[in-house]
Amino acid sequence: MVMPSAIGNGPYFIVSEAISSVASVWKKGKAYFLTGTVCFGIVKAIFYYKKQCQRNKWRSVGKDVVVLHLFPRGRYCPNVSPFVVKLETYLRMAGISYELDFEEPLGPKGKCPWITWNGKDLADSQIIIETLGKYYGKNFSSHLKAEDKALGVSLRLMVEEHFFWCNVMWRWIFDQSFVVSSLTDWGTWLPFHWFYRPVIGQLLYLEAYMQGIGRHTESEVLAMGHQDLQALSIFLGDHPFILGDKPTEVDCSIFGMLAQICWNSAGSPFLKLIETDYKNLIDYCHRMKEEFWPDWEYCLQPLEKQRLPKTSFRPPYCKTYEAIVLHE
Amino acid sequence: MTEEVNSSEEMKEIDVTPSPGSILTVMISILVTTFLVYIYRRIIVRQIRRSVWKSAGDDVVLVHCPTPGYLTPNISPFVMKLLTYLRLAQIPYKLEHDEPMGAKGKTPWITLNGEELHDSQLIIEALSKKFDKDFNSGLSEEEKAIARGFAMMIEEHIAWGLRVWRFIVDDGRTLLEGMKQPFFVSLIKPIFVRSQKAALWYQGLGRHSPSEVENMITADLRALSKYLGRKPYLMGDNLTEVDCTMFAFMANILYNYNRSPYYDIIKGEFTNLYDYVLRVKGRLWPDWNQCLEKTKLK
Repeated sequence: MVMPSAIGNGPYFIVSEAISSVASVWKKGKAYFLTGTVCFGIVKAIFYYKKQCQRNKWRSVGKDVVVLHLFPRGRYCPNVSPFVVKLETYLRMAGISYELDFEEPLGPKGKCPWITWNGKDLADSQIIIETLGKYYGKNFSSHLKAEDKALGVSLRLMVEEHFFWCNVMWRWIFDQSFVVSSLTDWGTWLPFHWFYRPVIGQLLYLEAYMQGIGRHTESEVLAMGHQDLQALSIFLGDHPFILGDKPTEVDCSIFGMLAQICWNSAGSPFLKLIETDYKNLIDYCHRMKEEFWPDWEYCLQPLEKQRLPKTSFRPPYCKTYEAIVLHE
Repeated sequence: MTEEVNSSEEMKEIDVTPSPGSILTVMISILVTTFLVYIYRRIIVRQIRRSVWKSAGDDVVLVHCPTPGYLTPNISPFVMKLLTYLRLAQIPYKLEHDEPMGAKGKTPWITLNGEELHDSQLIIEALSKKFDKDFNSGLSEEEKAIARGFAMMIEEHIAWGLRVWRFIVDDGRTLLEGMKQPFFVSLIKPIFVRSQKAALWYQGLGRHSPSEVENMITADLRALSKYLGRKPYLMGDNLTEVDCTMFAFMANILYNYNRSPYYDIIKGEFTNLYDYVLRVKGRLWPDWNQCLEKTKLK
């Protein structure tokens, strides 16, 4: 019969040693531990206070005014993200007044854009558009037949869920001239190109890999993007807007995406395609820009270097630009 | 008496804790064995398989996919899409289940004349070029663009929305109900479900609440139903490539998603989608019941 000797006492021995070592550390470092906790508490309180100030600022815009949280303005196009351009174009189309906030671009779902409106946080541009459309009673697709509305849904999803990822792959992975770093002054502490771009590129590559398109080779991805642009161009044809003569919500999505190709993708094969073969897409971009962005130049970076007009130009949409014009 | 005491004292002093050296030896030998088995399976078994596949026949498509399902010929809608296309184009094919996941980590993939092709859409384009089958030839350029829009909507949005229900709402139970799995799969299912939830987060749809996703997918199904209308197939009177995609996903909802709200929506509100599934199934899958997995794992 074997008596339990070292094995049986082993676990008990280890636990008691652990407890005594923690007790000795506590006795020696009580002061450090307490100081650490207090500092941590102070830092948390500062962050909480800052957050409350931010929330008060957002609440102070008033009822039914949208606070739009977005990435910094771009140098060639009002924003680097197609969904921000989509949402802002929709707010202008619907005549909803909005304020801009660049401090917290990532929202409750970790994405941009998002809005704070009447005390509520809303994320995802499509959900925002549908909620605001219902609240303000704006329906730009009411004149369409059910079939055309269905087509609009499918084209919007083709652009947002498929072509978006093809463009992400080009912009962050395949593009060796790294145009993305010069699209805007990202406002980061360290140089964006050397420190943030590789990290964000890898994160977006992981997202594209999980989505599926990141697993293909470069030529396959570019061929898929080519087919999407071809489908868009054929469907647009000679119409002024994608679903006929009047702009609809779907035009905001498609313009948001095509604006990235048109202005934010120097040297991209997609830009070469639409300049040579699918010119109606470029005309479409310029048409939407003239219709909804008459103050395009004032929405670009760097803001302080824009030549502001001598007369008091008040764009009807965006209150923040009133403030900039008045202070100059 | 003294002998008994001595022997019991001796036994008390036997130290049975293994020495560090022997633990290390056992661990290293386990690692080395595992590594050698892995190398064998990865390299040698794969080579054996590929030489077997080469003998499948000229111009016979060898489709690598998971084993058949209980409710649909395959639990993956992309496999169904590819098989429906092969039946539509009347290209002879064989199924193979040893290596369902391809080089890109996706299923299905094919071996044709010794060459490997991945991604169902790229496969369909390559096969239509090789065998000279163009089902979109009767469509105008605008209709082809429309077909592409709907195919993208189904594959890139509805597919992910259905995955939200399958993994986030239903916790992956349909994987066990729909397909014959080895016994240990039910143990590792939580790990797989968690990895799919992470994929959904990265893709984007996993960040919304399930009710928001349900509204989005219902809107997509409404768009499909309204565009289909009273036509026999999506783009008119003839079957086209987008019908393979649409049939695969609608059949997936009808047979594999019995407990989901989308099943009720298709049966109740969008009945033309239900009739469409039965129509395409009768035309391209007359042997549906023979393609299902019969034996249930106890």
